Amino acid sequence: MLTIALSKGRLAEQAIELLERAGYDCTAAKEKSRKLILEDEKTGLRFIMAKPADVPTYVEYGAADLGVVGKDTLLEEGRQLYEVIDLGFGKCRMCVAGPKELKDGKLDKIPNKRVGTKYPNITRAYFEGVKKESVEIIKLNGSVELAPLIGLSEVIVDIVESGRTLYENGLDVIETIADISARVVVNRVSMKMKSDEITPMIEKLKTQVEIMNSNKEE
Amino acid sequence: MSSKFYTPDGFNDTLPGVCAFKKDAESKLRRLFFLHGYQEIETPGFEYADIYTKPDFVKEEDLYKLTDSKGRLLCARYDGTIPAARYAATLAKDKFPLRLSYIENMYRFNQTGGGRQSEFTQAGAELMGIAGSDSDAEVIAMAIRSALEVGVTDLQVSIGQTGLFEGAVNQAGLDEETAGIIRNAIVAKDPVTIERVAGEKGLSDNDRDMFLMFAQPSGDADTVEEIRDFFTDPKATEAIKNLEEIMEALSDYGYDKYVSIDPGLLGSVDYYTGVVFKGYTYEVGFPIIGGGRYNKTVGAFGRDMECVGFSLGLSLAITALIRQGLELTDPVAEAVVGYEKGNKDARVSAITLAEQMRLGGTTVILDTSSKSEEELNAFADDNDIGTVFWFDGGEK
Repeated sequence: MLTIALSKGRLAEQAIELLERAGYDCTAAKEKSRKLILEDEKTGLRFIMAKPADVPTYVEYGAADLGVVGKDTLLEEGRQLYEVIDLGFGKCRMCVAGPKELKDGKLDKIPNKRVGTKYPNITRAYFEGVKKESVEIIKLNGSVELAPLIGLSEVIVDIVESGRTLYENGLDVIETIADISARVVVNRVSMKMKSDEITPMIEKLKTQVEIMNSNKEE
Repeated sequence: MSSKFYTPDGFNDTLPGVCAFKKDAESKLRRLFFLHGYQEIETPGFEYADIYTKPDFVKEEDLYKLTDSKGRLLCARYDGTIPAARYAATLAKDKFPLRLSYIENMYRFNQTGGGRQSEFTQAGAELMGIAGSDSDAEVIAMAIRSALEVGVTDLQVSIGQTGLFEGAVNQAGLDEETAGIIRNAIVAKDPVTIERVAGEKGLSDNDRDMFLMFAQPSGDADTVEEIRDFFTDPKATEAIKNLEEIMEALSDYGYDKYVSIDPGLLGSVDYYTGVVFKGYTYEVGFPIIGGGRYNKTVGAFGRDMECVGFSLGLSLAITALIRQGLELTDPVAEAVVGYEKGNKDARVSAITLAEQMRLGGTTVILDTSSKSEEELNAFADDNDIGTVFWFDGGEK
């Protein structure tokens, strides 16, 4: 029995679609219900529907063998996991964003800046580790774009997909921290102990991702 | 609110049942170490934090810290190897090779979950002052025996060698920064980054495939033949020879079925200098065995020494066994002896009988609560005690 943790929402749907194309019967997972654990004895698959930020925890602790989760969550949680496939969907960028005027290096001129974000760990790692400066991090839980507009912070760190929310609010991407997409993660012990089941699954999923990517290119 | 009713996060009581099983396991391990000539040591519960942080064996924030009366920084025992290394370098004189063992509680800050606790028991052994594949194999065999002795039979041990990656870096001519990026990608089994870096740095097809091989999710190979052809660097060739010899020796121990080769097992860069291994079982998210060769470590205490060792996470292994379905039994006693209240002769007979039975190895409770014969029988029933003796004067 393999336990797979999915990030509730669009990412879960895309992951299920991919698993089905790879030849795994996911009828159980597609059941429209409020059940949090969806199990199918026949196929030997058990799905758990978790909040995205919790998926790395389930997998690191071995409560789930595998998980599908965004790279943003992985970077923020910093868990000890195997990150075996880049699924290529759920694409976006982790960015520093703020008023347009701060582009072209002007951001660096502000000392002791305040940064609003849902991702305090990524923010700290970027400013302290990469840019070698200390910043005041203000942890927010949503509508992060508000912070620079209302003077709570100079800039924000957030994921940017199309950038529309930013532009409509007079903000822009100032620096890109990392490219984000959905990843398959595996528990380090499960990879050893359940290799007979997990290795073929990874191979089949990889094949499907390659097919998907080559279709896109055409 | 008063917190006197709770234990701190990461710290647990070990209650009857689990405790009996654990102490029995400790006795078996102690016996195993003794029979292999590994002398047991106890090291202090607190050490100067410097022994772990200078050089950087352990991150300062992972230690439980306090200060001594002069304001110097102390820490709770984090592992068994570093104190053993301190002992070997400073106190052991010239009795080498040295075989040491320990069974002690370790303390790690902020490392709970997946079966782990902040306080946990580790049993380990160190073989110090000797190099060579046979010594490596002995310690790996000890690690496997330890797990089996405790009752872990679903066991898989993966073996790597730090020289493989070092050699690969030389072979590809990578600078330190690039090597670090690839190293992290291998640890995360992330092929995407490796492909990207290989492209950027213009690595040869062989070298790219070599690094991808390190990052293969199911890294395990049964023999070195599957990886040999990637490597030309002498450091890596030497590592492969070491792995080959270890696998051969472990086969002589009869342990083939537990071991495989995992090139992607890199080990901490500041610590390991040769073979590295980890042991896994079902139902816990972390390895129960860790170990390897650490030839530089004792040098940090002023004396260079070739060492290899392992530790078994006993608490983690027991958690795994319980989740795998281990039935714990810890009956109160096998027999209970009671006597009529206020009857001196009866009490003498009861005490004498209880002592005799204990000499024969039976666990006996002497009832001190003046129960009647009926009450004593009921008490025995409630507590699964099979045998009841009652004295009321002369006859039982």
